[in-house]
Formats: sequence, structure tokens, C-alpha cells
Amino acid sequence: MATNVSAHAPLRAKRSASSYVLPTAAALLLGLLLLWLGVNFVKGPAYFFTISFIGLTNGAVYALVALGYTLVYGILELINFAHGDLFMLGGMISATMLITVFGLKAHSSTGALVVALLGSLAVAMVACGLINASIEFVAYRPLRGAPRLAPLITAVGMSFILQNVAIAWKGPSYIAIPNVLPTGNVFSIAGVVYTWEKLIVIIVTLPVLFALLWLVLRTRQGKAMRATAQDRDAAAMMGINVNRTISFTFLIAGGLAGAAGLLYALYFGQVRYDTGFSLGLIAFTAAVLGGIGNLPGAVLGAVSIGFIQAYNDGLTWHAPGSDWTQSIVFAILILILVFRPEGLLGERTPEGA
Amino acid sequence: MRRRVVQSLSRAWWAGLGAVGLPRERWDALPVTRRRAVKAGLWVAIFLVLVALFGVWKISALAVGAVIFVLLAPAWDRLTIRGWRIGKWFAPAAVIAIVAAYPYYVNSMPEVPLFGPFPQLSTLVVMTIFTMMALGLNFVVGYAGLLDLGYVAFYAMGAYMAGWFASSQFSKQHLNIGAIGLYPGATGFHFSIWLVLPMAGIATAVVGVLIGLPTLRLRGDYLAIVTLGFGEILPQIARNGDNLFGTGFNLTNGTGGITPIDGPGFGNWLGHHLHLPANFLTAGDLDSVFLWTGIVLVLITVFCSARLRDSRLGRAWIAIREDEVAAAAMGVPLMRTKTWAYATGAFFGGVAGAYYASYKSGAFPDDFFFQISVFILAMVILGGMGNIWGVIFGACFLTYLDREGLSNIGTQINNSFGTNLDVPKYEFGIFGIIIVVVMLFRPEGLIPSSRRAAELHEGVHDEPLYDAEIA
Amino acid sequence: MSKKFLVLALVGAAVVVAAVAAGYSGSARSATSVTPLPSSSCGPVVYKGSGKPDFIIASDLPLQGAIRHQTVQISRAVIWELAQKGWKAGSLKIGYQSCDDSTAQTGGWDSAKCATNGRLYAANRSVIAVVGTFNSGCAKIIVPILNRANPGPMLMVSPANTNPGLTKHWDPGEPQKYYPTGVRNYARVVATDDFQGPADAMWSKSLGYKKVYVLNDKQTYGFGVATTYKNAAKKLGIQVVGFKGWDAKQSSYESLANLVKASGAQAVFLGGIVCNNGAKLMQDLRSVAPNVKLQMPDGFSDPLANGAVAQGAYISVAGQPPKSLTGTGATFVKSFGKQIGTEPNPYSQYGAQAMQVVLQAVAAGGGDRAKTNKAVFGLSITGGIIGNFTINATGDTNLTPITIYKQVGKKLVPQKTLIPAANLVG
Repeated sequence: MATNVSAHAPLRAKRSASSYVLPTAAALLLGLLLLWLGVNFVKGPAYFFTISFIGLTNGAVYALVALGYTLVYGILELINFAHGDLFMLGGMISATMLITVFGLKAHSSTGALVVALLGSLAVAMVACGLINASIEFVAYRPLRGAPRLAPLITAVGMSFILQNVAIAWKGPSYIAIPNVLPTGNVFSIAGVVYTWEKLIVIIVTLPVLFALLWLVLRTRQGKAMRATAQDRDAAAMMGINVNRTISFTFLIAGGLAGAAGLLYALYFGQVRYDTGFSLGLIAFTAAVLGGIGNLPGAVLGAVSIGFIQAYNDGLTWHAPGSDWTQSIVFAILILILVFRPEGLLGERTPEGA
Repeated sequence: MRRRVVQSLSRAWWAGLGAVGLPRERWDALPVTRRRAVKAGLWVAIFLVLVALFGVWKISALAVGAVIFVLLAPAWDRLTIRGWRIGKWFAPAAVIAIVAAYPYYVNSMPEVPLFGPFPQLSTLVVMTIFTMMALGLNFVVGYAGLLDLGYVAFYAMGAYMAGWFASSQFSKQHLNIGAIGLYPGATGFHFSIWLVLPMAGIATAVVGVLIGLPTLRLRGDYLAIVTLGFGEILPQIARNGDNLFGTGFNLTNGTGGITPIDGPGFGNWLGHHLHLPANFLTAGDLDSVFLWTGIVLVLITVFCSARLRDSRLGRAWIAIREDEVAAAAMGVPLMRTKTWAYATGAFFGGVAGAYYASYKSGAFPDDFFFQISVFILAMVILGGMGNIWGVIFGACFLTYLDREGLSNIGTQINNSFGTNLDVPKYEFGIFGIIIVVVMLFRPEGLIPSSRRAAELHEGVHDEPLYDAEIA
Repeated sequence: MSKKFLVLALVGAAVVVAAVAAGYSGSARSATSVTPLPSSSCGPVVYKGSGKPDFIIASDLPLQGAIRHQTVQISRAVIWELAQKGWKAGSLKIGYQSCDDSTAQTGGWDSAKCATNGRLYAANRSVIAVVGTFNSGCAKIIVPILNRANPGPMLMVSPANTNPGLTKHWDPGEPQKYYPTGVRNYARVVATDDFQGPADAMWSKSLGYKKVYVLNDKQTYGFGVATTYKNAAKKLGIQVVGFKGWDAKQSSYESLANLVKASGAQAVFLGGIVCNNGAKLMQDLRSVAPNVKLQMPDGFSDPLANGAVAQGAYISVAGQPPKSLTGTGATFVKSFGKQIGTEPNPYSQYGAQAMQVVLQAVAAGGGDRAKTNKAVFGLSITGGIIGNFTINATGDTNLTPITIYKQVGKKLVPQKTLIPAANLVG
């Protein structure tokens, strides 16, 4: 039975009014945000740029940690709660290497500095990578077939264990790292200040990012990682050793955390057993914001969160202030997860089991 | 493999006994009652020997041994009087009696090895409070299978409800409904604590529903993170609440907290005629009255737990826990069921929080931090997810460890081995190890519900119904 | 079958009753020994006099975390004072227990622990009075508990609480809400924050600052002293260009430091305690805005906790500097200093002084809590460690000098001792 369709008016599904609500609200929010930033920029452009550089540098450190989260989630669909604390251990290992092994003090010679940095970087990355891989072997692999709640709860327990390892090793107070990075400005144009420390953070972060991208996109191991992340059973059927690939992923993620720990120790100057918890949550928010499982997304999300944090703390016109930073970051996390769980760069695939 | 180990141990045990002249056949020939009596006697003997050798002996250890014997030897659960099977009430009644009588015998108890002296009364009061919270979390994690990492937000909400309605926080108002023991010239909302407790529960349940509505459709791991987020946001609002958004309105008194908070009481009339304590905070046996009230609150929670578990709602929870898709296909309204779980958990968390705030006589934002949520989660996991007795045991044991047990154990270890360990410093590491070990080897907990054990070992179909898969 | 059960039940009940009775009678204490406070909160009983102590005086301090140096020293100063008095108060023999109101997790005072400790003191008849606390927030919890204690309100004398609300009218409802029975039971030997802030403001004025930025750690003490500083500074004609809080949990205060720099302030006043990440805050301030001078209240009074970054900063501490103490005070500095091997921290003198006040009150009270409590109000100390003073009817001392120190290396070098003008106070 043919339905009586008028020939001249093609059928078009009418879009319901309620589907406009969400995009409108998002656009409004974004507009207000841009307006706020604009007013602050006009009030003090040089100051605005200084704060932006702070945000960029913070974002770079967050990016390294966020990448670790995203790698592990992509391959196992597990939020590794212990990742932030692994980063904290990386910071502590770096601090020990810098202070005790290399004996760095403030204002050492450049040669000694470079040697110490490279040495500590290598040790921290290898150590954290191995710790992460062993955690996966001991705690997550046996629970591969269990309901998804089980490895998540185990990860929380693991996080506590790592924090206590730090307390047992270094005690509950802050470890201060001497100011070994060269101070002074790279440039200072019209009141915009950019210090050497910030540049060094970027100098260390960028190669690590590129190395990671090369690893994931161009090597066989990277292809194995991407295949396992896409479909574990099919990858196994294609001859990929899933267990080894997952261990390798954890190794890489641990290495990233170690590098981030070194940078944190150098740039922020102090580490404590609970540093990893708060920073881990910020980094996880960044990973989710960018699209969890998506590597460039993690970097984008981290830099965005870095900017948001710096603007919140530093801007003068109607900035909520550092009291509210944590709430704002969490609010972003909740909003993203509820309204756009695939994040900024992720793709929404059809729903259903 | 475990069975083989047990079998070989059992064979060795009987071979040994047979050599002494007590072979297995003689044992099997004994009537059941006598076998039970012998087994109970053995436990009592082991206990007495341990206390005598490694603990601090007091004559009351014999009494404790006698009580253990009386509890274990006869088959109480089969007791039937004139057709009424009262035996099944024996275990709960015995536990309630032992705990309620605690204030009378705590001072005369011997000291056991490793754990040292029996816990103080104040620790027992805190145990009842955390038992309530753990039972509340059990609704969410145990029955409905939703991982909630922000339970501390409900605790905070309950405590601040007590702070708002039973203290001088809003000193410009003056409303006094049945409050006890106010200082002269008090202003602010002062409601009777008996009124504040259900108010706190309902308000927290409403907050739970508000939090749950947008978030409960997320899948398990995302839900965990989101609840963690709320668990951090609410305390931060409490910390910054002395100048809410710059308006100057003092909601929570910021980091100073709301102190003092009134205590419960029955007032002078009831106190005089029924000999109930007029004002808990000035009662001579303060901890005892708080303990008994706490026991009543826990009983109410257990009653609600048991009834809800066996109701339609409870079965709906089990259904969505095991297989959301099938449950939805069978007509279980997913969002509503999950929201009910969340609201019920929030209710009991709020009541417990308000009671604790009244006991501590204060609500401070520094009391609410993430580790507490995991602490309560550990209680549920260790005890047995979904099993009321298990959760009660887990809650009592972990609370005891947190408040006194670890420092006692530390002292004992240091005294015996001459080390200088500060065991309470490693508290959360120990809890982390407990969580990891339990999840790896016995995820259904110490006292499991058999259904949950099956789910955890055989696996469930836990693809959630709503799932945005990320490429 | 059920008859057997009934018999067994009766036997069991009889056994239980007998056991309880035995336990009860067995636990009757001999009249002359004290019941020590439990080891989960307190250390062992310290008593080096003859025989056995009649009563215990407990100290309630946060003994864990960064503040350890100061509080452990205060506890030892209390013991020193007790030893000086021959472990006696009048004719009563006094033992001492050091109790901890902090936990390892928080690294500072914990509200539940304070409440538990307060209840322990109140419930234990051997405890006659308490020296404490260190943090005003903890005192706000313990004072009402001791106030309701039965027997009688129990006295607490603090060597360090500076929040005015405990004894004076400050926030709405204070101070009555801490004394539910209507009778005061709390005194202190230090000047309150409403003196310290103005003293700091006077010092800022004398250094010629015209623009100052005020930061606070958003806790009771920090916020209070920052507010009194701000009010006094304004009265003295100093422009307060900003008043913001800092979050102890943040990893970096660079943006905040930039804000301070951009405001054009010549100095920044950090109202708070150093354990709230004060060291990092000072570091970021110094690196971003090295020309801005630092000024802090006594929350930063431990040079070891401040670190080298606070070199040259001005820190105020209530009371006279240890070096300028005379008489008993000088003896304390020399003798106690020799005992601990270094110059005593300014708070230790207050610890010893608080103990002296308590001992005098206990001697006057003759072992009765209520009488001991009453004896402290109006109590006059002559030749005390910090000098001559009187505890007035509200529990405050009438001796309110504030000394401004400069941090040089690992020491605090006194610069000037001020007594704030009355119009600036409050």
C-alpha cells in the first residue's frame, strides 16, 4: 500500500525543540567564557599573556599524566586510579636522584645540570614503567574477566598502597627540590615575562609527545596497541600477543608518568605523598575533556585545563579565585561526562550493548 | 587446589589423633550435641590459652570463655518453643544483648593478644555510626552494583544539616523546637535531634536524587568518577561557604566549622517519669546512651535493609546488577531503580552523618575527605557486598582498626619485637592492601551472599544499556 | 529437647551475671592510684616524685606533622615546669600525660580526635585540669566538653590559642556558646589575635609601607589575624590593595603571586600557618615578586619550617622575646635551653607558664575540679616565666606585648616589642 505522499514536499524529519536546548546552553556558556576572557585581556594584555604562559606550562605537565590515563583506558577500558600516585612516585624518585645521587644544588653548572636531568629522567621513566607493568601483572590481569567494578576497586586500593609507600619512604611532609633550573627570563616583551623554567618544561615535554606519537602511529608495537584497543578478541585472532601488548602499554604509560614526575619536581619544587591524588584527578579530567582514548585529545584537554586553572587563579576581573579551582575542574568533568562523554575530539558511536 | 590442601590437612589431623587413641570412628559415633560441645570447648580452651600466654589475664577471661561456650555449644538456631521457631532470632538477639551490655563489662575485660585491650565505649559509638553508613553504601554498591566513590558527600550533608538546625549557626533566627541543653541566650534554629535526624536523612536523599538524576545513566567507571567529583565538590563548598559566592551569606562558617552542635535528649518530663536521659551531653554515662541510641538506629537500618532486599525493589536492584539489558527487557525501570538505590543510601548516610555531628558536637569541612569514601567502601567489600551481617562485621572491624586497633597493634608489635613502627601512619595503605587482596582472592567478601559470589566468580553481563562507546 | 535448652540458658545467664559481678568488683580501684589516659591518645604517665601521683594534668597538643618541633618542645617545657615544682601542686602529687589531638593522615589537629580526647579528660576522674590546646579550632571543641564535665567544669589553660572568640565577643554567639553551663572554664596566657594583627599593622606603618596585600589560609586562626591586621592597617592609613585566601592543597601559587605583583603592593601579609603550604607560597611570591616584602604572624614562627625563603621576613609572636625575660624566665631559657640543646622556641615559655598557672590553681582548688576552675579567674602570677600578670574574669591575660622578629638564618632575631593601642584592637 503506498502511502499518500505529496510529490512536491519531500519528507523531512522535524527537529524537536528540546534538541536545541543543549547546544544553545553550551554556546551561551562558551560565549560568556569568551566574554570574561576578553574583558580580562583588555584590562591588561601583558598580564593576560603572562598568566597564559603559566597555564600552558601547567598544561604541559598535566598532558604527560593525562596521556598515561588515556593510553590505559583506550586499551583496557579501565580508569587506572593509581596512575596519579605513580606520577607522584616518579616525582619522588626524581627528587631522590637529583638531590642524593647527583647532589644538585641551586645554580649548578649547565653541564652537570643536563647530565643530572637526563639521568634522572631515564631512571624515573624506567622505574615508573616497571612499577606500572608489575601493578598490571599482579592486580589487573587476574581480574580481566571479572565484572568491571572489580579492577576499578582494585585500582583504588592500589592508589592507597602507593601513597603509603611514599609515606613510608619519605614521610608525610613535603620534599623540597632545590631550584636547579636556571631562573631569569627568556624574553620580556612589554611586560610579558617568560622564564627559562617554563621553556625547559616545554623542551622536555614536546619530544616526549612526539616520541609517543611516533611509537603509536609508526611502529609495530603501536599498531598492536591500537588494534588491541579497538577490539581485543580480533587482535588476538590476528596473532597479537594481547598480554604482552597490554604490559607494554602500561610500561609506556608508566614512563610518561615518570617524566611528568621529574618535570613536576623541577618546576613546582615540592612533592608530597598526596600530590598525585589531586593532580591525577585534574589529569583525568583533562583526558576526559579531550576525549578519553584519544591521544591528541588528551593533550588538548590538558592544556585547556591548565589555562582554565591559571585564569581562575590569576585574572583580576571577577575570577572565582583559587578557592574554587577544584570545584570548577570537577564541575567540568561532571558536565562533560553527562552531556558529551566522548569529549571534545572523540567520536560518538551508536549506543547499545 | 584449596580442596586438596584441606583434605591432606584433615587426614594428617585424624592420623595424629588416632595415634593418641581418639580415632575418627569414635568421633563419628558421638551424638551431635556432644560433638558441638567438644568443638566449642576447644575454641574456649584456645582462647583462654592465648589470653594467658600473650594477653593480659583477668579473671573475667573465664567468664568470657563461659559465654563463648554457651553461645557455641547448643544448636540455638533450632530452638522451637511451642511451634514458634525463635531460633533464627537467637544470633541477632545475642549480638544485640552483648553489645548493649558492653558499658557494664568493658572495664573488666582481659586483654587479648595482638589487639590488646577491648575497644573503648567511644569507639563502639563510632562503630555504630559507621555501620549505618556502610549499610547505606551497601544499598548502592552491594544491592544495585553501582560504584559510589563519593559517599562522603552524604555524610557531610547530614552533618551540616545537624549543624544548621541544631546550633547557633543562623543566629539571626530564633526557632526552638524541642531542643535540649541550650546555653543561656541561645539563638538560631534549635530543633530536637530526634527531629533533625530524619530531616537530615530526607534532605540528603533529595540531594542524592539530584546528583543521581543526570549521572546514573553513565556506565560504571564514569559513575564512579562523577560521584568522586561530587564527593570533592560538596566539602569544598562547605570550606568556602562562609562567604557564598561573595554575597556575604555565611552558610557553613567556612573552615571553622559549625560548633557546638546540640546533643539529643528526652527532656526533663520524660527524664523524670521514665528515667530516660534528659540531656545526652550532660549524662554521666554519655557514651553509653549514645551507644544504645546508636544500636537502635542500626537496628532500624538493618530492618530497612532486609525488607528492601526481599522486596520488588530489591529484586529489581539485583536484576540490574546482573544484567541491565535483560532487566530493561523484563520491564525494570532502570533510572528509577538506580535512583531509589542512591536515595536510600543517601538517606542512611545523612542520618549517620547528623548523629555523628551531634556526638562530636561539631561539623568541620576537614572531616570530609576522599579517603573516608574508600574507607566505607572497604568495609562493604571486606565484609561482603550485599550481605547485611558481612557489612556490619566489616564496618565494626575496620572502624575499630582505624580508631584504636592499629595503634594497639603497633604498641604490641613494638613491645614484643622492640621495633619503632608507627602503625597508624600506614593505615590507608593497610586498607588498600585489604581491598586489593580481597578483590583478587575473595571478591565476595568474608561473609558473602552466595548469589554475589557466583556473580563475581562467573562474571556477569555487565554491558550497560546506555553506553556511548568511544572509538 | 527444649527443657535442656532452658536449663542451659539459665546456667549461661547465671554464669554471665556472676562474671559481670566478679568483673565489677575486681575492677574497683585502690584509692591512691590514678587511672591513666589510654595509649591510643596519650603517652605514658610521667611522674618522678615520691610515691604515686594523686592526679593527672594532661596536655592536648598536635604532636604529628610539620608542627612537631614546636609542640613536642612545649610538652617538654610543661614537664620542666612540673619538675621545678617538685611534681606537686600544693600538697597534691601531680603526674603528667602528653596527649595528641592530631592524626597521621591530616598531619594536624583532627576534630574527632579533639572530641574524643575532651571526653576522655572529662570522664577520667584522675585528670584534674588540662594544658592546651595549640590550635584554636580544637579548643572550640574541647572547651564545651570540659564545661559539661561531671564532676564540675574542668579547667583548661592554653599556651597558644589566639582566636578571640573563645573568651571575648567575636563571632555571633561567641563566647557563650562554648560555656553551656554558664560558668567559664578556660583561660590563656597569650595575647589574642585582636592584639597581634594591630601590632603587625603598627610595624608595617613604621616601615613606611603604603600599599599592602593581605592573604589568609582560610582557617579560623589565619582568617582572624588577617582580618584584624586589615582593619588596623586601614585605621593607620595603609591601603590594603587586596584580601584573598590561598588554598593549602594547590601545587603552585604563581598566578596568585602575579596578582600580588600586579597590585603594586610593597608588602604582603600572610595570615595563616606555615603547614598550610606556606613554604611554597613564600617561594612563589619571592620568585615572581622579589621586591615585595613578607610579613607574617606567629603561624610562621618556626624558622625551620619556613625554610631559607623566609630570610629577612618579619614575623610577630605574642609575648616577650626569650632573651629579654628576667628572673624565672631567664632561668627557664638557660636551664630548659640546656636540657634541649638549643634556644627555646617562643611558645615553650608559654607552655611552662600555662603549667605554672594550672599548678597554682590546682593547689588552691585542693583536688576539686570546680574549685580549681574557679581559682584561676583573678589569679595573679608574680615572678612568673613571662613576668607578672593577672588572669582576668574572662580568662585573658592582661600582659599583651607582641614582639616583631626578623628571620636570620635559622633563628628569629627580635626587632621590637609593641603593645598595640587600644583603638586599634578588635
